[in-house]
Amino acid sequence: MNPITIAWLLLPLLAAFLAALLPLLARPAVLLTCLGTAAMALAAQQSWLPDSLQLLGPLGITLQPDALAAPFLLLNALVCAAVLLDGWGRPRSKAWPLLLLVLHGSVNSAIVAADLISIYVALEVVGIATFLLLVLGGRRRQVWLGLRLMLVSNTVMLLFLIGCGLLYLEQRSFALFGVGQASGLVLALLAVALLTKAEVFVAGLWLPRTNAEGPLDVSALLSGTVVSAGVVPLLRISAEAASLLPVLRWLGIASAAAGVLLALLEPDLRRLLAWSTLAQMGLVVILPAVGGLSALGHGLAKAALFLLLRRIPDPALAGWRQRPLAPRLWWPLMLASLSIAGLPPLLGFLAKDQLSSQLPGAAGWLVTAISAGTVAVYARIWGPPLSALRAPPASPQSAAAAGASATDGAGAPAGATLLVAALVLLSASPWALPLWAAMDRQALTGAMLKTASVFAAGLMLHHLLSASADAAAAAGPVSGPTSDPAAGTGAALPAAGWRPQLEGLDELLGAIVLLAAALLGLLGWQP
Amino acid sequence: MTAFRALELLVLLAVLAGLVALLRHRNLFLKVLAMDVTSTAVISLFVLIAARDGLITPILQGHSPVVDPGVAAAYADPIPQAVILTAIVIGFSVQALLLLATTLLAHRDPTLDVAELDLPEPSGPGAGP
Repeated sequence: MNPITIAWLLLPLLAAFLAALLPLLARPAVLLTCLGTAAMALAAQQSWLPDSLQLLGPLGITLQPDALAAPFLLLNALVCAAVLLDGWGRPRSKAWPLLLLVLHGSVNSAIVAADLISIYVALEVVGIATFLLLVLGGRRRQVWLGLRLMLVSNTVMLLFLIGCGLLYLEQRSFALFGVGQASGLVLALLAVALLTKAEVFVAGLWLPRTNAEGPLDVSALLSGTVVSAGVVPLLRISAEAASLLPVLRWLGIASAAAGVLLALLEPDLRRLLAWSTLAQMGLVVILPAVGGLSALGHGLAKAALFLLLRRIPDPALAGWRQRPLAPRLWWPLMLASLSIAGLPPLLGFLAKDQLSSQLPGAAGWLVTAISAGTVAVYARIWGPPLSALRAPPASPQSAAAAGASATDGAGAPAGATLLVAALVLLSASPWALPLWAAMDRQALTGAMLKTASVFAAGLMLHHLLSASADAAAAAGPVSGPTSDPAAGTGAALPAAGWRPQLEGLDELLGAIVLLAAALLGLLGWQP
Repeated sequence: MTAFRALELLVLLAVLAGLVALLRHRNLFLKVLAMDVTSTAVISLFVLIAARDGLITPILQGHSPVVDPGVAAAYADPIPQAVILTAIVIGFSVQALLLLATTLLAHRDPTLDVAELDLPEPSGPGAGP
């Protein structure tokens, strides 16, 4: 069966060459490769293919299309297809579908690769493809965002390469199973690179600005697929190196807590979603066994939210509740955000439930508290009323908004609808069915009760926060220039000054170096 | 201290010098150059690892080695060299892309000050695609 796997890995890249010659074929080629990847994901989940294959001898390339890779492959296929479908009618640069193909192929390789050098090469190609997708618009801001991302990611990949070299010096092999006996220095270097790629904690601080100011379909790709290219190698390494597990667990919890806290204070919808990505990726790395399911649920929902956001003209959360949304936007928005918050029977509920039931002791309680925080974060975007079909707009302001959205997003949001449909349907797929079957009646009731209390706590937190924001808005002058008279009703708008400015390029690089030093201290002490 | 250790230390010093320069310089062009210094240091680390046991290139002619193993048993390790060749190509292309993007930015703002580039653009609520 090896030829099938190799052909599937090569298909997107060959299709990209073909698309460069025959641009007409580019979009069908993307759909075809996504279909192939989805089939491959199913095959990997059901172990129809050999779990591991080696090319070019024992020092060569190792590929592992196993059950760990399966949910990430499915996520990659669905998100790429949805992003393509969403932009189907719009005129695009010829290079766009081509770059999408390269990105898709390289993420696939990063997911199944199981030796460090293949991982390095795949991650570099992912970085270059992401950079080019970001820069493609050619505007100055996008060029700067892309450059920033590339500089950071190339710096961490150099650290990764040093880790590879030192590992070879110790083990005489680049194979992943050698990482288990590696020294703390090697582990720290590899982990800091992959954490940056996976957008966890301080290493992921490049994300919010990139998401808020870059094109939204690239944001969907970033939050949906590009992160999985960093997460899967990280999960593979943590499965080998036991000393990394506790460090990753607490780092993940810290990342989740920080992400939720910053999202609660964020006045901009796009940045709120980005902070929430930081939080959710933290949850993914906490427990490698559940990581695939959480990443699948989160990636589908977050990509859908970013694609929907493109049809919503104003990303400010102030006055969000006064702007009605059309049903074709309202339903996917609600379903996707409810899934991340963990409402049964959506995919997010299963992931959250598995996570909190399998974690021992204090970590489990912390994760439950973070889930309540997540509910409070998403309660901020559940506000807007469902506008009736073709209802006359209430005020001139909303008329302008409705007009803008009508011209902006003519037609149904195909991509987001696909993702949300997948989110609902996948609860009855081979990924989720064994988990449902494993839960007896009592466990199911317990999980439901827990979810209900988490939702109640989250909503209460949301009301407390919005009430205090209202009080602040009524008492003093609203911080920040807002022309909207309804400012402060739905959003706590903190002054820009007191929040630490952590997102400049220098701060990003400094944070990564500090994280590397901290990891080195933590891992070096352990025997 | 063996020669290998001393050279390894020098290489790690070069890596650190590159990282410090990357953090310290405010000019984007100098930052890109500093990254190149780090990248060169990483390449020399791999070359050093390849040469830790010997310097003679292992080449086969037909089925017999060009250099008689009886004469010189200490061959260089070909694996790290093969690996770093890939990394050199990737590093080169990344460097080219970064410099291209820097050139694009320099058309507007020749100072290339990172702190200035990082300032958010003044934009209305509906800005962005």
